[in-house]
Amino acid sequence: MSEPKEKMTHPDSEVLAEFRAGLITGRSGARISGHLAACERCAGLSDQLAEISTLLAAVPAPAMPDAVARRLEGVLAAEAANRDSSERAVDPRSPDRATRPRPRRHWDFRLVALRVLAPAAAVVVLAAGGYGLSRIGGSSSTSSQAASSGVASAASQAQRGGAPVPSSAAKSGHEAVPGEAPLTFEVVTSGTSYQRATLRLQLEHELALHARGAAGQQELASASVKGCVLRVTRGVILVLVENAHYQGQPAIVIVAHSGRDDAAWVIAPGCSASSDHVLAETTLPGTSAP
Amino acid sequence: MPGTVPISDGEWPSDTELLRRHVAGDSDAFGELFRRHRDRLWAVALRTVCDPEEAADALQDAMISAFRRAADFRGDSAVTTWLHRIVVNASLDRLRRRAVRPVTSAGDEQALEALLAHDPDPARAADTRLDIDAALRILPPAQRAALVVVDMLGFSVDDAAAILDTSPGTVKSRCARARARLLPHVAHLRGNRSASQRVSPAQGGEA
Repeated sequence: MSEPKEKMTHPDSEVLAEFRAGLITGRSGARISGHLAACERCAGLSDQLAEISTLLAAVPAPAMPDAVARRLEGVLAAEAANRDSSERAVDPRSPDRATRPRPRRHWDFRLVALRVLAPAAAVVVLAAGGYGLSRIGGSSSTSSQAASSGVASAASQAQRGGAPVPSSAAKSGHEAVPGEAPLTFEVVTSGTSYQRATLRLQLEHELALHARGAAGQQELASASVKGCVLRVTRGVILVLVENAHYQGQPAIVIVAHSGRDDAAWVIAPGCSASSDHVLAETTLPGTSAP
Repeated sequence: MPGTVPISDGEWPSDTELLRRHVAGDSDAFGELFRRHRDRLWAVALRTVCDPEEAADALQDAMISAFRRAADFRGDSAVTTWLHRIVVNASLDRLRRRAVRPVTSAGDEQALEALLAHDPDPARAADTRLDIDAALRILPPAQRAALVVVDMLGFSVDDAAAILDTSPGTVKSRCARARARLLPHVAHLRGNRSASQRVSPAQGGEA
């Protein structure tokens, strides 16, 4: 390539690139500059390096896929909802609340996801042969990443009931669940929009997210949601309860251990201890196990 | 629906204003900021981690972090610079966590490069964008991030230095080395094959 009699060996492309970036100055810079004036090949290489930047600048930025956009919107909505609720928890009668900018409630239609039980805890219960609603809530280590002051205060409220819920609570679960029921679990907000055709896949993905603690913000479930969950699951071990969308409509998704597998229900909103409308059911092959 | 918030031209609150509203308790402000910049933030995450799933995770980490740390924003850089910085950091964090063994930074980069070097699918050669995306994978993450921010997103070297949390000189150096490394892999995209054959890729390695 380079002829031995040449004053200077050809600089490699990295040296040329550094020279072009203004990183080689002084005597070395002058030498390269002189070489470029005399060497067609290196001058061409230098031009090509410049063209790389042009080429890269011309590549259109990929648009964010809808699924990613929805997911992130959901996460941010959860953050906002959680921030609101934790502010409320600090002082529920704060006069500030009336004067604060009222958020447009365009998240109201959105599902609130309830993570009922950390998967790790579920496994412990299963291994012990336990049956019945097990503990859920702020004591789960996997939820710590998503935990916030709001969750912490919710968890402390929940401590009255004790973290582990005796299975007798599940057996009596068909009765209306009062606000002070020992069953406590957290509500996680997600932006998932389930479709019939991909329900299982989406559920598996969602459970994997929850297992990694990558879920959104958490709040305690309302009494009616508790009642609904108990009614639908009949006291099996809950893995996930999520208010999401199904076929474009708001829906509650519940996943629970059922024998060796997980069972999943998709329920129309308005579900309570006294009524439910199951939109879809499916089983998952034990996806909640880590 | 997400992404369909009405936007009226000329009446946009500035990014800084949106962030200020967010800190003041406005539940929608941060979401609007996100929608405004999401494609560019997505691009930087995707091209830094080279994997859509990981990019989505990185971006999620970053947005949660930005949401919660918005009060820390001091205004000494543009909001977009601040957002990009958080996204790049989250992306590089993802890559680091994915690395098999976190040793020295040089070893780390080599391990990552090995991880990223797979999948040179020749069937994609027709598509420039996919080609570029594939070529970017051969770069060490720090070089790739610099090149993405400067050459692909068009940030100035100074802004890129703020985003990448390093000096302008380091940004220039990383970009230069990255361009030299890419040269043999993208030369054919400009129809000039001779250069790619004469430049030995091995020469473009560690310095």
